[in-house]
Amino acid sequence: MMTTDDDTRDDGSTSERHRPSRRRFLAAGGVAATGALAGCTGLFGGGDDGDYGPPDYDAADAAMEAMAISEFQGSGAILEGRPAPGGRSMEDLPNLSGELAIYLGGGEGGLYRDLFDVLEAVYPDFSYTAQPKPSSELAAQIAEEAQTGQLQADVFISIGAGSLGAVVEEGATRPLTAETVEPVPGAFVEPDNNWVGIAGRARAIPYNTDQLDESDLPDSVMDIPDADPLQNAMGWAPTYGAFQDFVTAMRLLEGEDATLQWLEDMQAAGIQSYDNEFLISDAVSTGELDAGFANHYYAMRVLNGSPDRPLDLHFTRGDAGSLVNVSGAALLDRDENAGLADVFVRHLLSAEAQEFFATRTYAYPMLPGVQPVGDLPTIDELETPDIDLTELSNTGPTTDLLTEAGVL
Amino acid sequence: MSVSDRIDAVSRRFKRRSPSDVQTLVLALLAGSVAVAVLTPLLWVLNSARSVPIDRFLEILLRQTTFDILLNTVVLVVAVTALSILIGVPLAVLTAQTDMPFRRLFTVLAALPLVVPSYIGAFAFVSAFGPRGELATVLAPLGIEQIPSIYGLGGSVIVLTLFTYPYVFLTTRASLLSIDGRSVEAARTLNHTRLAAFRRVTLPQLKPGIAAGALLVALYTLSDFGTPAIMQFDVFTRIIYVRTTARQVDIASIFSILLVGLTVVILLAESRIERGGETSAYVNRGTDRPGVVRLGRWRWMATLFPLAIAALALALPPAILLTWLGRSTPELAGAAVDFQWEFAWNSVLVSGLAAGVSVLAALPLAYLSARGEGRLASLPERASYVGYAVPGVIVGFGLLSVALNVTPFLYGSIAVLVFAYVVRFLPQAVGTTRSSILQVDPQLLEAARTLGKPPLAAFRKIVLPLVMPGIVAGAALVFLTSMKELAATLLLRPFGFETLVTYIWQVQEAAVYGQAAVPALVLIGISALSMLVILGRERYDVKE
Repeated sequence: MMTTDDDTRDDGSTSERHRPSRRRFLAAGGVAATGALAGCTGLFGGGDDGDYGPPDYDAADAAMEAMAISEFQGSGAILEGRPAPGGRSMEDLPNLSGELAIYLGGGEGGLYRDLFDVLEAVYPDFSYTAQPKPSSELAAQIAEEAQTGQLQADVFISIGAGSLGAVVEEGATRPLTAETVEPVPGAFVEPDNNWVGIAGRARAIPYNTDQLDESDLPDSVMDIPDADPLQNAMGWAPTYGAFQDFVTAMRLLEGEDATLQWLEDMQAAGIQSYDNEFLISDAVSTGELDAGFANHYYAMRVLNGSPDRPLDLHFTRGDAGSLVNVSGAALLDRDENAGLADVFVRHLLSAEAQEFFATRTYAYPMLPGVQPVGDLPTIDELETPDIDLTELSNTGPTTDLLTEAGVL
Repeated sequence: MSVSDRIDAVSRRFKRRSPSDVQTLVLALLAGSVAVAVLTPLLWVLNSARSVPIDRFLEILLRQTTFDILLNTVVLVVAVTALSILIGVPLAVLTAQTDMPFRRLFTVLAALPLVVPSYIGAFAFVSAFGPRGELATVLAPLGIEQIPSIYGLGGSVIVLTLFTYPYVFLTTRASLLSIDGRSVEAARTLNHTRLAAFRRVTLPQLKPGIAAGALLVALYTLSDFGTPAIMQFDVFTRIIYVRTTARQVDIASIFSILLVGLTVVILLAESRIERGGETSAYVNRGTDRPGVVRLGRWRWMATLFPLAIAALALALPPAILLTWLGRSTPELAGAAVDFQWEFAWNSVLVSGLAAGVSVLAALPLAYLSARGEGRLASLPERASYVGYAVPGVIVGFGLLSVALNVTPFLYGSIAVLVFAYVVRFLPQAVGTTRSSILQVDPQLLEAARTLGKPPLAAFRKIVLPLVMPGIVAGAALVFLTSMKELAATLLLRPFGFETLVTYIWQVQEAAVYGQAAVPALVLIGISALSMLVILGRERYDVKE
């Protein structure tokens, strides 16, 4: 591989392609260096040992052109004046090569695929197949598959740590390499590296700034049922996974009795049910609701589409209301593609991919060097509760509580 | 029982030890194995329920919420079924037995709502009549701030009725078309008024048809997840879904068993009605249709009824879809995969295979039930209805488990998906096939046999051509319901295999509703074609 660098650069520069540099480089390399490649299947054959050798600097140089940051960045008023993302660049990572099968959980599947498509375009020898489904359904399916040793995918990407924890519990995963998870803060990595967060999602209280002052909103989520301005004015989405994770967090922090009481009090305060949290954020922005419970990025989406809506976010302090959950990735325990899957996740944690998650999905980046969009507080500024995200997988008692309170 | 039926029964009794006993045995074995095959997903349910200790089982069973959900489910099923009869039967009478103008057009319009997936219907209704819907937007400037809520029981009943009443309409209409007009004439000559003749002669003969349609409506309502979920109304399917995906399969299985119990109750109720009218599930020898009822000056007024139903069930959803098409969602532009025609082809492929397999599997069940003796003969046919009432997510996870453990080589192929459709929709094919077998004079078969044809050849030459229209209608019904099935499709589709509904699900999940419009309209369009097949069979009936 290394021996053919010079040839390929020469070859590459003679053929003009619409996507420059790295693709051209690899395409040409593939032709010129078949013999050489046969000797290093660990690099290109999707070997299992995860040893991808030293970074390929020449290829990375070429990739610079291809992967201008604009490939990854979103657009809109919300992004003006963003600093360049800091952190490990994709250009320092080993190449992706082989066919990857991805179980892709939940709602933002389309957006994530945009990122995977960019990777596919950059690495001509890399392709992926994704199967999108609700994360919780996928976790249940993976559990069934793992029991008979018939896992179908290499990577599981979930919109919540709960489903990731569930598949870890079922023994369906194997650890990511230390190198892959190294840049991510410990709170967002499973203790044995069985999953890693790729994008953060903070619980928040979207509120209508025409109808409420931020001072109307309590700093503790437990005080919300008693807050006078919030009577008959709020909405929640009890069937939505992220909401259930929030209730699980409350159960872990405050206990079952207090959580049940809170659920009943919220209903007594006239809370309305919605199908999902985008609808809640939208309803708050139009004044149908005064406030609601939702993940933070739905409000950002509403605002990026309609910047004039009177919508802002309130974060409670140090309780379930300010839980930061993650979309994350786990490697499924099958023989194929082990190395490829690990390096793929490493790509998702590169500065470029994190910029993508921050600016396209408005998620909290996992790298300290990448800023969240707009005037969102950084993760350090949020007072997040002290909670082990893996414990969010214990959803059974939560569903019991929600049922008992008559919410589900 | 008519005289010829008696002769028939007696002659059959005399032929006890004939080779046809072997035939019956083979038939029973075939039918039995089909019934067992379609019940396999339930083994998974029973197996998971086994792990629940009895006190936990009782504790869950006796909870207040369990009772509330049971009550909600029963109220929903009863209301939707009753309302479907109230809409479906008059529409069938109007289009089949009166001089209302444009009867053929209205026949098509009245049947078509069946092709609209009820979750799309529910979504359209919320968009139109929800708190921030189109209606509220129109009314707001007029000073009307509050409209009655579409959510809850009311909305669920309206939506489910509008998109399932065609079952009653189709089966009632089929019965009406096969009624021997001479009996109605006889009643009239015996001084019955037209209404009395309808009540005393026509209605009893219609009962099995109405009951067959009502059964499909009731079981569909029991199994539907999308509509109550969107309408936020708590029924069994919602709890089963929530518990299954929370990996509390044991609790989900308890509710599934309750649901199967409810199914059995409904099946028994329908059997009673059908047996009560058994003499009318008779051999259609008469070619005389009952006389057309002249509506007089009500002729044109009568069209308002089908028009109103069509406006709500057929015009509204596409209209809402088209407004989505126009709605730009800049904040999420490019968020979802672009629509590809391959998705439509995939939908047609798996639904078509499901239709083909279903009619083949339906034949022994239908034949045994229609021609067999004793209640046991109907058992496989009855059993096949259970799968229809079980929600797709249960069939999905059941088959997932069966495939992984029993036929791993099939796991992840379209075979499992096709089989899931067969499990869920086989009864539709059984129903239409059975009713057309009932209408074939058994003496025709006997005649062919006396002329020296071997049994299978006689069946192929005589019975099959006569029941073909029923088989084709069954295939079309299975096809169009498979086209719109979501839960099992999402779960069991092979890697990288997207259909129209899984695509619609994805863009709707990503809140890019505009992108759902084209595939939804394509789905409705393709299914509408298969509905024309069902109605086309009727024209054939009428002409004969």
